[in-house]
Amino acid sequence: MSASLLFFIFFALVVLSLLLWASRPAKHQFAPDADVFEALSQSRHCYHFHQIMQALRPEDTEYLREIGQAPLVRALRLQRRGVALIYLDCLQKEFETLLEISRALAVMSPEVIAMEEMERWRLSVAFAAHCAFLKWKLRLGLQPFSGFTLLSDMAINIARQLEAATTRIAETAVRGSEPSATGHENIAGL
Amino acid sequence: MVEPLQLRNLAWALTTTVECVLFVQLARRKFLDKYPWFSIYVASTIVQSAVVATAYRVFDVPSMVVWKIAWASQLIVVFLRFQALVELTRKILDRYLGIWALAWRLLFTVGILVLANSLLFSKGDWYWIFHNMERGFELSIGTIIVTLLLFARYYRLPIQRLHSALMLGLCLYSVFFVLNYTLLEKHIQELVNFWGFVDILTYLATLLIWLNAVSRYPEPATQALPVIPKELYGKLSSELNLRLHLLNRQLNQLLRSEDQHR
Repeated sequence: MSASLLFFIFFALVVLSLLLWASRPAKHQFAPDADVFEALSQSRHCYHFHQIMQALRPEDTEYLREIGQAPLVRALRLQRRGVALIYLDCLQKEFETLLEISRALAVMSPEVIAMEEMERWRLSVAFAAHCAFLKWKLRLGLQPFSGFTLLSDMAINIARQLEAATTRIAETAVRGSEPSATGHENIAGL
Repeated sequence: MVEPLQLRNLAWALTTTVECVLFVQLARRKFLDKYPWFSIYVASTIVQSAVVATAYRVFDVPSMVVWKIAWASQLIVVFLRFQALVELTRKILDRYLGIWALAWRLLFTVGILVLANSLLFSKGDWYWIFHNMERGFELSIGTIIVTLLLFARYYRLPIQRLHSALMLGLCLYSVFFVLNYTLLEKHIQELVNFWGFVDILTYLATLLIWLNAVSRYPEPATQALPVIPKELYGKLSSELNLRLHLLNRQLNQLLRSEDQHR
């Protein structure tokens, strides 16, 4: 079988499969003019990162093991893995909401920055892969671990940065929603 | 038993009739001026059928003149199909100024890359350059349509049913053309009538999709979109990316902390 034959058949089949996939009905559409800042102002699950890390620390269950409460340790770990999974779901939802907002903004913008759109796409792929991987690891049985005080500190630091970024978004949005001289119709809902 | 040649001629007559009905329907629904390139493309296919049929009657059939007429008319038709695709892409995307500016560059690059890649297999042989150019062009059309649909899906852009059906028809025909041509390329001389018949059948299916869309779906309504200043988008976009980065980092922390333990 020649290379050209393989190339054309493979490529045509890939195009056909993608056509079928892309023709499926789309998910719900984000209403950009009303929901952007409401979505941005919602509570952020990432702030609970410290507590989640704390719950997974080995010291939290070590004492129970020492006093011979192995079944309780197992039950507790199972419960905490469940909480960690719920936390991951929330984190993913938050990430997807931010992506939705960014898409809505790109649709409304008269000019988009290609590099930032690409970066967002890369981030969304990386996040989806990491999240799926971590969920599977948790489902397979994440054990408590030690030595992550540093990580907790980093988590607090990230939460602070997130807070600052969110504040800047809100400030920028408020400034941007003021009447502009561009001549375009501005978004009324902002 | 019906001869393959007769069967092909029958299918050819049928497609020409459907093309005429489609053109009349385009005129009746007042789509001729709203979709000029698509209408010219449909008209060109009718003219092509008439020209090639006349050439077959006037000249002896294994004739170089007929071959040249058929290929020249095919080049014009493929070019017009490409113009119809550009027209549809504009209709779908040009309301979104920023997205359109990004999309046309992306779609153009994708189209050129696929065409160039297809030509690579010609190895400098003019016969294959000619054939691969047509096949590559069709593959480009299919790839551009799929990229556009994926792009629209990513940004949650609504595509009207009429546009969606016209795109689907264009893409299906292009992809099946490439598949038919590639699968039969080694036996193209022996199976020329069969290949022609399969090609006409896929084209007929495409015409029926278009006819159904043009007859059933209303003309897409255009409504004004809210627009935000460019500067606001720039600032919000980079801040949102930062937040996405931070969330991603947080997830990585969880992953790494688990790896450290193990």
